Amino acid sequence: MHPALTIAGKDLRQRLRDKSAIVLGLLAPLAIAALMSFAFGSAQTFHLDTAIVDEDHGELAAAFTSMLSSDDLSDLVTLVPATSRADAESKLDNGEVAAVFVIPAGFTAAAHGGGAVPVTVLGTVDQPVATQVGTAIANAFVARFNAVRLSVGVAVAGRTPPSDALVADAARAALPEQVVARSAGTRPLDAISYYGPGMGIFFTMFATGFTARGYFAERANGTLDRITAAPVGPGTVLAGKSLATFGYALASLTTMAVVTTLVFDAYWGPPAAAGALIIAISLALVGLTALVIAISRTERQADGLAGIATFALVLLGGNFVSLSMAPAALRTLALFTPNGWAMRGFTDLSTGAEASAIVLPLAAMLGFTAATTAIAMFLIRRTVTR
Amino acid sequence: MDGALTLTDTRSDRGADTPAAVLDCAGLTRSFGDRLAIDDVSLRIAPGETYGLLGPNGAGKSTTIRMVCGLLTADAGTVTVAGLPMTPGAPARALVGYVPQDVALYPDLTARENLRFFGHMYRLRGKQLAERVAEVLDLTGLTDRGGDRVESFSGGMRRRLNIGAALLHRPTLLVLDEPTVGVDPQSRHAILDSVRAFGAAGMAVLYTTHYMEEAERICDRVGIIDHGKLIAEGTPRELVAQVAERDRVELTATGNLPGFATACAALTGVTHTDSGDGMVTLLVEDGRAVLPAVLDAAERADIAVRSVQVVEPDLESVFLHLTGTSLRE
Ligand SMILES: Nc1ncnc2c1ncn2[C@@H]1O[C@H](COP(=O)(O)OP(=O)(O)OP(=O)(O)O)[C@@H](O)[C@H]1O
Ligand SMILES: [Mg+2]
Repeated sequence: MHPALTIAGKDLRQRLRDKSAIVLGLLAPLAIAALMSFAFGSAQTFHLDTAIVDEDHGELAAAFTSMLSSDDLSDLVTLVPATSRADAESKLDNGEVAAVFVIPAGFTAAAHGGGAVPVTVLGTVDQPVATQVGTAIANAFVARFNAVRLSVGVAVAGRTPPSDALVADAARAALPEQVVARSAGTRPLDAISYYGPGMGIFFTMFATGFTARGYFAERANGTLDRITAAPVGPGTVLAGKSLATFGYALASLTTMAVVTTLVFDAYWGPPAAAGALIIAISLALVGLTALVIAISRTERQADGLAGIATFALVLLGGNFVSLSMAPAALRTLALFTPNGWAMRGFTDLSTGAEASAIVLPLAAMLGFTAATTAIAMFLIRRTVTR
Repeated sequence: MDGALTLTDTRSDRGADTPAAVLDCAGLTRSFGDRLAIDDVSLRIAPGETYGLLGPNGAGKSTTIRMVCGLLTADAGTVTVAGLPMTPGAPARALVGYVPQDVALYPDLTARENLRFFGHMYRLRGKQLAERVAEVLDLTGLTDRGGDRVESFSGGMRRRLNIGAALLHRPTLLVLDEPTVGVDPQSRHAILDSVRAFGAAGMAVLYTTHYMEEAERICDRVGIIDHGKLIAEGTPRELVAQVAERDRVELTATGNLPGFATACAALTGVTHTDSGDGMVTLLVEDGRAVLPAVLDAAERADIAVRSVQVVEPDLESVFLHLTGTSLRE
């Protein structure tokens, strides 16, 4: 076995004996990905059972009904048939539906120039989100006709109607496709499929700090001298240390992919393509680790540098916040980060893009790897025999 | 055993001028910033020879050794091992076994894992590696602890393993940097005996220490280093012969010792004085003759003398003679 592989194997063995590696490599990213998708992904998992009471019987009421039962909203809304207003209200009371739309008589006529007749959304205090979403849907429909005379009234059974702020929130919550805006695929992106890779990559980037610190710890405790006293070149030591990062990143990300897929129903894309992205980002982290080691002079410097690099890269690359809504300048910056490219690849894959969509991300990450490795190998030679 | 350990004993033709030197350092010089740490050090070690580099703290022993092992570049001078230049990544490294001054092992790995790892670094593998690991565990008396993590070892056990890790590849030159520091007397004897045995088996040994008894006991030749300069070199007997006419008088006492030492320096027959650590050391021409005058001076200077010892000439006396300070910590 090549000494570099021996060094990598030794490092991984030490890492695995240290329980914090398992926490940082798997438990933490899993927990945070789950939390993030819970916090930011509720609109996508929310589902509204509703009923329509049509007292209008006009063409506009029919249009509203067909909108609610359209494919566009089928993920979000299920229309439960109701025979009368009383039937709908009893379904609301017993929880069969969470909101009821009442389209009053004269609604269609009003749209053509009559008096103002509001659509009423009946909700319950038990399910305020449902009321908000219902209101937002009605508002969206009304707005579509740009008819100022039409308006939406909200009646929450028992208590006060939702505030304007809540309604505004609901309008925002009703736009589940935010994250999909930029992706090349057609499937809606669910949050866990974004935060799974996002957090997995973030925590493996932490591994760069580990490895870099480990290098300087070996220098401090003399084992590095022992290795360099053997016929082992400085590049080999660096390669061994960096390979450990590769193995760790590979294991951590693969486990993340498998666990989030099985447990949270995440979709990382076709296994081969997702695997290629995982390998590429792991390689890029190897280059990053080597660079941090080669630039730093002390353990403290390495620690600081790795921390700064990790945070700068995850913020620019969009591991925490999707960049689809970000200004163009920020999105351009993301193109300079390997993790930004990885996230782009994963987003494309998980929204159903062709596997060929990852060619560019792969090339970018490999380019990053080559550049950082070359610089590191050049720099390390001057540091070994001080 | 085979290989380097059974090289024919070349003691008969050993010496500083043997052409087939295992180690040849010429004009080694190294500064750290403004501080000249090593100043033009040259030394040669023949096969099977044990060479002791004796000097106090900060003399430059470790710095010399680090240059010998190719861990530190010299500002000037060269190191050759068995004729091969010691440059980064050079094959000369495969001939050297380096025992660092501080224990350099992975505490979270077992003794066997540590040995296997360092054996790999010297390109040992497979059956050969397994055999050498077993032999070294045996040699260091750690066979039944081979599967335990090093962090569970006593200081002495770590020290032994620290040496063992440098023996796996049967080096031609074994370099030990103060391997007995902080070791109990029993382990120390064991270590010294095994170093003696390595030399007897034909290995060239470079051994640094600041204990003159160690240098006297195991070294064929000794170089005395102080402030980065090699100030004397020879067999222990040759070195001691330089001060053969002198006795060393050691007084343990309380009071103004530096003042007392100065007073003693003025006495006839006293050639060197040093004080420190509740002790005054004198190098005198004749111990018995000068003693009454010394005790007299002590009484006048109000010095309470606890004990007086007149010691036969040894390397300690040589060091005092050469540098004007004593070697002990
Ligand atoms: N990396 C370094 N940077 C700066 N100065 C150094 C360095 N290494 C050694 N020195 C200096 O060089 C001198 C010799 O140090 P060295 O470690 O070789 O002494 P030593 O004889 O091994 O001492 P000891 O018995 O305490 O181990 C000392 O003055 C030391 O401060
Ligand atoms: Mg030293």
